[in-house]
Amino acid sequence: MKCQDIQQKLSAYAEGIVPHEEKILIEEHLKSCPKCNESLASLRKTIDYVHSLKDVEPPAWLTQKVMAKIKAEVQPKKGIIQKLFYPLHIKLPLEAVVTALIAVITIYIFKTIQPEMKLAQAPSEHETVIARSPSKVDDEAISKEKIASPLARNDRKRLLLHEKSKDKENLISSSPPLEKTTPSSPPLEKGGKGGFDTEQTMPSKKPAPMDKLEEAPPPIQRQDKVRPSAGAVAKEEVKTEVLSRATKAKVSDEKREVVNVTVLVKDIKTARTEIETTLTQLGGKIIKTESFENKEVLTAEITSQKLTELIARLKSVGEVEEKEVDLGIHEGTLEIMIEIVK
Amino acid sequence: MKREEQAFIDEDAEIVSFCKKGNVDAFEELVRKHQKKMLNIAFRMIGNYEDACEIVQDAFVSAYKAIRHFEEKARFSTWLYTIVVNLSRNRLNQLKIKNSREAFSMDDPILTDSGELAVELASSEPSVLERLEKRNVQQKVQECINALGNEFKEVIILRDMQGFSYDEISDMLKIPGGTVKSRLFRAREMLRNCLKRVMGDL
Repeated sequence: MKCQDIQQKLSAYAEGIVPHEEKILIEEHLKSCPKCNESLASLRKTIDYVHSLKDVEPPAWLTQKVMAKIKAEVQPKKGIIQKLFYPLHIKLPLEAVVTALIAVITIYIFKTIQPEMKLAQAPSEHETVIARSPSKVDDEAISKEKIASPLARNDRKRLLLHEKSKDKENLISSSPPLEKTTPSSPPLEKGGKGGFDTEQTMPSKKPAPMDKLEEAPPPIQRQDKVRPSAGAVAKEEVKTEVLSRATKAKVSDEKREVVNVTVLVKDIKTARTEIETTLTQLGGKIIKTESFENKEVLTAEITSQKLTELIARLKSVGEVEEKEVDLGIHEGTLEIMIEIVK
Repeated sequence: MKREEQAFIDEDAEIVSFCKKGNVDAFEELVRKHQKKMLNIAFRMIGNYEDACEIVQDAFVSAYKAIRHFEEKARFSTWLYTIVVNLSRNRLNQLKIKNSREAFSMDDPILTDSGELAVELASSEPSVLERLEKRNVQQKVQECINALGNEFKEVIILRDMQGFSYDEISDMLKIPGGTVKSRLFRAREMLRNCLKRVMGDL
């Protein structure tokens, strides 16, 4: 290796960062080359000189001054934000904000108005269609029958309306009476014994005359029910009977006594869902649920036959406290108020 | 190099994270901790204590402003020293321009061209010598460092004075490790020649 090459590597060699093979070569060369030896020595001295330079101490005020400068720099940043609110600076952001705002408002208005328009338009169209189509059919029918008098048409419309209202009534009175017809018919088919039994047992339970009075309608209903099961009567008659029965049932509903049951449970919510499922399983109908701070009140309708079973099942849910429950007295559908208390 | 990067533990990381959240007071600890090293880097590069103090202040201020952008790829200290090196370099450039406008300057030769070592030293030699004769060794060494080109000053200050590793220097100056090595070699050569002249013998 030439002196020049060695000299170039001396810097790294002085720091001890040359590869092993190079190190050996350099060391061999150094043994025989005073010039390179001399430059290595001077290089080391140079490094030492630099290294020996004493560190200067920072002035005592430096930290404070730096922090003061930083805090001064940070606070004006707030000022810059405030400056943004100057008209000149704000122009662009303000425009952007306003554009965004308008877009949002537009979407909002569009979203709120559109469904309403649909709601407003759709039913009206629908109604007219419905209103027209029967009349058209009527017209056609009428024309076919060659009855051109407007009076007849009016009569027909009235009839239609009447039927509609009937339907509505049916809907309003809804399931309870309808349900009643189906489950109550089998026992009646068994020779109407069930009905007679209750009637026969009724007088024996004289201590509760009020209940008896209230229970008076059901037997009549039963008699009504017998007729359709007998089967010989026209359907329309049945309908009217059902309707009348429904109204009667309504009346009786109002007078009907409410069975109060209090259930002591650990967890109100789970108990509630449990009770709800048992109610539906037993063919009962939940009228309303009210929740208070420490209790839930379930009001439901249930057939009297199922009441005992229900209470038995409630006992499995929690501790049951019965208030004014006289199981034998109740007949047909009755209202039950279940208080779920912790 | 990669191994070292992966292994490093930044002792400032926690305080830096506070600062990133906007805690100005947490930054004070970082200032106290690093101001001395920063001042020395700046001072050795510029050769003027007052200017160095100003540069340190500016470096800390710009570091705080940019602390949100500091990605923990390197040590916070390395990042901080990079700022002070850059600011010192800028200041030197400013001084050069200022001096070049003056009729005569000791730094003139350095201005002519960056790489021309022989020209630099040869032309700066007389004035440097005159100045150095009456001063002690420390000042002589400083004067010789001052006479170096910026890129040589940087490596010699960071390596031989502050003891940073080649990797750290390579990170700070954004130059490859090989360049650090060759620059350091040249810087030492120049410095040795200068010292030989000012001190007569080494």
